[in-house]
Amino acid sequence: MVVDFPDLVDMVQDYALASGIPNIRTVHSSRTLPGPADVDSFIEPMVEALIRPLTAKEKETGRWEPTQPRILFEGTLPEAQKFYQQTRKVSSPLLHGSVCVYTDGLPIIAPTEELVREMLTGTSHKPDELITRQSSVILTQRDTTLGEWIKGEKGEVAHFQSMGWTATVEKVATIAVMSGCKPEHLPVVLAISESECPTGTAGIASQWVCASGPIVKEIGINCEQGMFDPGNPANMPIGRAYQLMALNLGGAMVGVNRLNNFGSPFNSGGTLFAENMDALPPGWKGLNEEYGFKKDESIVMVITGGSLLKTGSFPSGGYRALQKSGHGGIARRLGVKGVPGPHNLLEYVAPGLWVGHEGGYTIIMIPVIAHDLYEYGFKTKDEIYQWLWKQSFEPLKDYKLRAGPDLSTNGWMGIERTSGKHWKELPDDYMVPVGGNNPTDNCIIVAGGPSEHILLLNGRRGLTSSVYSVDAWR
Amino acid sequence: MAKNDAVYKYLNPVGIKESVDIIPLAPRLDSLDGKEIWFSICGEPDVTIPLEKQLKNNYPNVNWKVKKTYQTSPIPLSDEEMKTCNALIQAVAW
Repeated sequence: MVVDFPDLVDMVQDYALASGIPNIRTVHSSRTLPGPADVDSFIEPMVEALIRPLTAKEKETGRWEPTQPRILFEGTLPEAQKFYQQTRKVSSPLLHGSVCVYTDGLPIIAPTEELVREMLTGTSHKPDELITRQSSVILTQRDTTLGEWIKGEKGEVAHFQSMGWTATVEKVATIAVMSGCKPEHLPVVLAISESECPTGTAGIASQWVCASGPIVKEIGINCEQGMFDPGNPANMPIGRAYQLMALNLGGAMVGVNRLNNFGSPFNSGGTLFAENMDALPPGWKGLNEEYGFKKDESIVMVITGGSLLKTGSFPSGGYRALQKSGHGGIARRLGVKGVPGPHNLLEYVAPGLWVGHEGGYTIIMIPVIAHDLYEYGFKTKDEIYQWLWKQSFEPLKDYKLRAGPDLSTNGWMGIERTSGKHWKELPDDYMVPVGGNNPTDNCIIVAGGPSEHILLLNGRRGLTSSVYSVDAWR
Repeated sequence: MAKNDAVYKYLNPVGIKESVDIIPLAPRLDSLDGKEIWFSICGEPDVTIPLEKQLKNNYPNVNWKVKKTYQTSPIPLSDEEMKTCNALIQAVAW
């Protein structure tokens, strides 16, 4: 007997079938009725469902064997385009439209056997090889029972989100064709596929991928001006491949089991960009080195979840005024009026960072700002991670007034990590790091164009964000 | 070069689903009186707070047991708990 919301009907049915109980009884709770009135509306049918005799269908046994042909369609190219753009209605009362079954709503390159065969020349891996983890990694997904991050062991088969389906190299290549990728893009797409392409739910859960290492120049991923804008023949199709993998390999369909309120501009078309390794200040490691890879090794970092995307809230001219002459509002805030830089921009940004947000930040900063911070005194990224984290502490009495920790602390029933004590044993003036469990929940990526801005995205989790080797898939 | 009027075969991008054994629903109870019924709650407790109260008020002859977590998946009943459990209501407040 399950109590759910009426907009979750398709999702509950999908999971029930995958669990072998397609006929499970459900009643719906309302999202809007006051609690007692809501309970009155379903408590009797709920209890009645426990005693009403089973129907013949509910007693059924057997085995569900899905039909899974290798060839999905046969016909001309225009017919194939129409076939792959087919839509379906979903039961969610929140969605008054159709959803594409195989695509993101845009036309695709129809995946003929010939095109997929050509795509497969981009990797040495066999077409029928299952996608498995090429190294051990902490995934971006939490264990939904314990709330802990899930570890993926080397050799484990990837189970794509949300439905836990698996895939072969050929299926990933098929999606790479559909997305418009070239064979030289395939190792990047395969590396991303290791992540299981989670999509999250609620809010505007976003997914994005950042590449690091020689692959960036090899295939021309834009890490400079307009890297999130359309126009690049590597960023666009590879970013799109993430979303098509989530839909096709994971069953993450809007209105079924992908239930973001608004969706995210990062997901619409997909998002791949890269760090600008040539522009790193001396001593600042690239993402590949931060995760234990070598400078000449290529990786992708996959981050998903959260509802966070904001700029540093200062005009580029204001930043130049600060650094060139100690002029303007930022200089006044920092108390350096009339004193030319280098100054620490982060002192200006930090006070607002944790208003309505818990956790670290991934800060994408242009090379000039990174070099100014280096000249100011941050000789490594780690020094900035530490500095930012220290700014985030607040007394427990204030931390308790946030909504997010109700969930992350499992209703304050767990252990506070920095003290090792139970939350309920700590005094109100105990200082809690709002900015994540560790300094490395923050992440810096040097990238972007010449105009002085920073972009703030969801942070990672320690050095445990999902990072995957591209070279392993060459 | 592909031609518009030529016929091709196109590959299936959909992930591989595992076959599943279909399990019949658990036998229903003849009545609720004297039974041990577990109420399993996961996610933020919104409607489950008044629901738990009303279940206990409206059905006092039931031996209600509750399992709660703020996480998104329910905590499974242990083998020991399953021995005496007569029915389970699972509420997903998420």
